[in-house]
Amino acid sequence: MTRPLLKISDVSVEFGPKANAIRVVDSVSFSIGAGEAVGLVGESGSGKSITSLSILRLIPDPPGRIVSGSIEFEGQDLLKLPANRMPEIRGRDIAMIFQEPMSSLNPVMTIGDQIAEALMLHQDLDRDARWQRVIEVLSLVGMPDPAARLGAFPHEFSGGMRQRVMIAMAVACNPKLLIADEPTTALDVTIQAQVLELMKSIRASVNTAILLISHDLGVIADLCERVVVMYSGRIVEEGSVESIFSKPEHPYTRGLLQSIPRLDDDRKRLYQIAGTVPMAGSVKKGCPFYARCDLRVDKCAAEMPPMFEFSKQHKAACWVTGEAEQ
Amino acid sequence: MGRMIGLRLIDAIPTILLVLTLVFVALRILPGDPAQVALGDMATPAQLELFREQMGLNLPLWQQYFIFLWDMLTLNLGRSLVSNVPVASIIAANLPYTIELTLVATGMGVIIGVPLGVLAATNRNKLPDSGVRVFSLIGYAIPDFYLGALMLIVFSLNLGWFPINGGGTDFLSRLHHVFLPALTLAMVKSAFLGRLTRTSLLEVLGKDYVRTARAKGARENRVIYRHGLRNALLPVTTGLGLSLLATLSGSVAIELVFNRPGLGETLIGAIAERDYPVIQAGAVIFAFFVVFINLLIDIAYIAIDPRIRVQS
Repeated sequence: MTRPLLKISDVSVEFGPKANAIRVVDSVSFSIGAGEAVGLVGESGSGKSITSLSILRLIPDPPGRIVSGSIEFEGQDLLKLPANRMPEIRGRDIAMIFQEPMSSLNPVMTIGDQIAEALMLHQDLDRDARWQRVIEVLSLVGMPDPAARLGAFPHEFSGGMRQRVMIAMAVACNPKLLIADEPTTALDVTIQAQVLELMKSIRASVNTAILLISHDLGVIADLCERVVVMYSGRIVEEGSVESIFSKPEHPYTRGLLQSIPRLDDDRKRLYQIAGTVPMAGSVKKGCPFYARCDLRVDKCAAEMPPMFEFSKQHKAACWVTGEAEQ
Repeated sequence: MGRMIGLRLIDAIPTILLVLTLVFVALRILPGDPAQVALGDMATPAQLELFREQMGLNLPLWQQYFIFLWDMLTLNLGRSLVSNVPVASIIAANLPYTIELTLVATGMGVIIGVPLGVLAATNRNKLPDSGVRVFSLIGYAIPDFYLGALMLIVFSLNLGWFPINGGGTDFLSRLHHVFLPALTLAMVKSAFLGRLTRTSLLEVLGKDYVRTARAKGARENRVIYRHGLRNALLPVTTGLGLSLLATLSGSVAIELVFNRPGLGETLIGAIAERDYPVIQAGAVIFAFFVVFINLLIDIAYIAIDPRIRVQS
């Protein structure tokens, strides 16, 4: 098998003072191949955003820190890299799009300057070539009349347009991996669809791998080939979009899929998973989903289930479905 | 932009009228008879009456008010009751020293204060941060006239590096004279600006767009100075305007301590002698400065923050 583009192994992240730190991400491992699109799903507080921030080592320290594991990008462990080498990777090899387009752009810099800055930091272009490239990426993300908008400030744009600017900034240097942290969550539904379409076309034209973080399974099904499901800081299921959507093996994933409203059913109430997400790090022993699970047995409370392999592409951490499969 | 500045100027007119009215009323309420003070204890009632007649002090208050307004607007400031010198020339001789002191002090305050704030914010809860905090506390706690006296004793009397009094003549000697009093005022100012910069920068460094800048691959210096500081400067600009005003009034005490010519020193003398025309003119000029500085702050806002530009 060829080496994956990004290989995350056993990464754990803790927050708070060392003495009673809270483990927000617990031994997370997954990988992304070159050009592959992987979705990371989970509820708020499941640790998916922290996992994505840890790849670029952007977790605010203090209070957070990566306590163990390795994050290999093209064979090089990013966690072992000296901190002053990280800026060379950020924006050039791995770029990131954030959830809040309204606040993620610098209010006192023109959008042209903000995109040009990414190029200036990583590429040796002269002024004219740089501006040419800025106009190019702006038209790539569907900005109407890009040359005329270079001098505009972020507040002159709508949320959807700002997210396009963010995407333009992220793809300006043709990154090998694009991390998109809930890129459509803050947008109107119609704009969400446009931005998703844009992400797809970007993927086709830039040929970048994508890590899409979302709590919306529909968004992920639309864009990704593989899904990683997180719950309470742990990965509970991983597999291809087809296998997970057609045959989810973890009770949590099943619950998530059932919660999606459908036009063709006549339920009066939407399905909901009973209970609430346990506070990160509060489950010390056993399966973190135990308290809310329909299938639980005594063993689940005592011991954390390992990842059972259901097929070559499909793994899930559940004692009940896992042992039934063996 | 020109239109916005014009609008702000028009906004200033009611403020100036209000200030002129306050000055007028305050002076009429002030105890003491200006005629008595001007002519001395030996003046006869007839002389006093004649003086009041000449100065328009016998007219009804509302007439005095309009005459006062008209005089101020036409810059007809009158003559000093004490020395009979035109008030305009007294002001002209002293005002430049005060402006010079205020500007140099403010410049020094910014040069010392803002970098201290950046140092503190980027080393939060570490040694430099504590150092800056102690410096700020001292700056806040020491009264400026006391600090001025200390400076004078150490640097002028004992070390002899700076002159003891006066305002200087040519450019270099004026700079030499203004340094110590300006530094005194700047210590207080930089304590204030340092704290303000630290707070503001810390807040900005937690913003989403700062994370975006890091994710783009900007190095820490670039993140702090290019993305952080410019956004953090908005509240600092307000603080700077406020402290400019504080310096203007603080200069009164400092001018006395350093025995330096200036508006403050002139005003104190005039108040002691009930020299109405000089007090009036001085108060009005201070008030004009306040309005003018606020206008400058507004213009600085427009220059720093593009979002304000659009609102007009």
